[in-house]
Amino acid sequence: MRKTDILDVVARKLSPYMFLFGLYLVSFGDTSPGGGFQGGVVIASGIILLAMARGTGAAEALFPASRLTVLEVVGYVVFLAAGIVGVILGVGFLGDWFARGASVAARAATVGDTATATAAAAASAHRFVFLLNLIIGVKVAAGVSLICLTLFRET
Amino acid sequence: MGRIVELLAIAVVALFLVTVLSPAGTGNATLRDTVVANGVHDTGAVNLVTAIYLGYRAYDTLGETIVLLLAVSGVMVLVKR
Repeated sequence: MRKTDILDVVARKLSPYMFLFGLYLVSFGDTSPGGGFQGGVVIASGIILLAMARGTGAAEALFPASRLTVLEVVGYVVFLAAGIVGVILGVGFLGDWFARGASVAARAATVGDTATATAAAAASAHRFVFLLNLIIGVKVAAGVSLICLTLFRET
Repeated sequence: MGRIVELLAIAVVALFLVTVLSPAGTGNATLRDTVVANGVHDTGAVNLVTAIYLGYRAYDTLGETIVLLLAVSGVMVLVKR
């Protein structure tokens, strides 16, 4: 199939905005509709658009398959590690250890003042969800684009 | 004849869906109200979907990431062969 210039230009102009929108979905997943899985798939669709319009080689020059493989595996290990840190800090597997750390710090600063401690914990609570969203976003983007790049290369 | 049976089947399915999915008949109203009332406080995520899948059901999400990892591994093994 012959490729036209329109496809080339549109893919080149559009894919950065797709990456940006994917990053937005990942990073605001805890306050607005979106999240790690959705944002990751949007980022991956940007990579797939590059691969389909400009060839697998152009996409792999930006996102080498070897590095995507590493991201996919490391993402899973980091997710597991984020859960195990919760066990070490005493909030349970995949417990919110950001809030726990903030409440301990606030309790040390204001001895006995539990209201301030809970307020500090609530203020920092969404950070753990943000961290998990970020890990999942990277992992899903690497995984989905890796599947498609592998299949494109084969055909 | 066949048309009548089809319409009858569609009507039965529609009736089933209406009774099951209507707000008053939703299975577990207690669970829904609990999540709506405590979700933001418990997990810190304003988006309640995120509150469920990364807060209350983080184990489930861990399993989903394993599924993705296995899917990628499977595709790469099958294609390389």
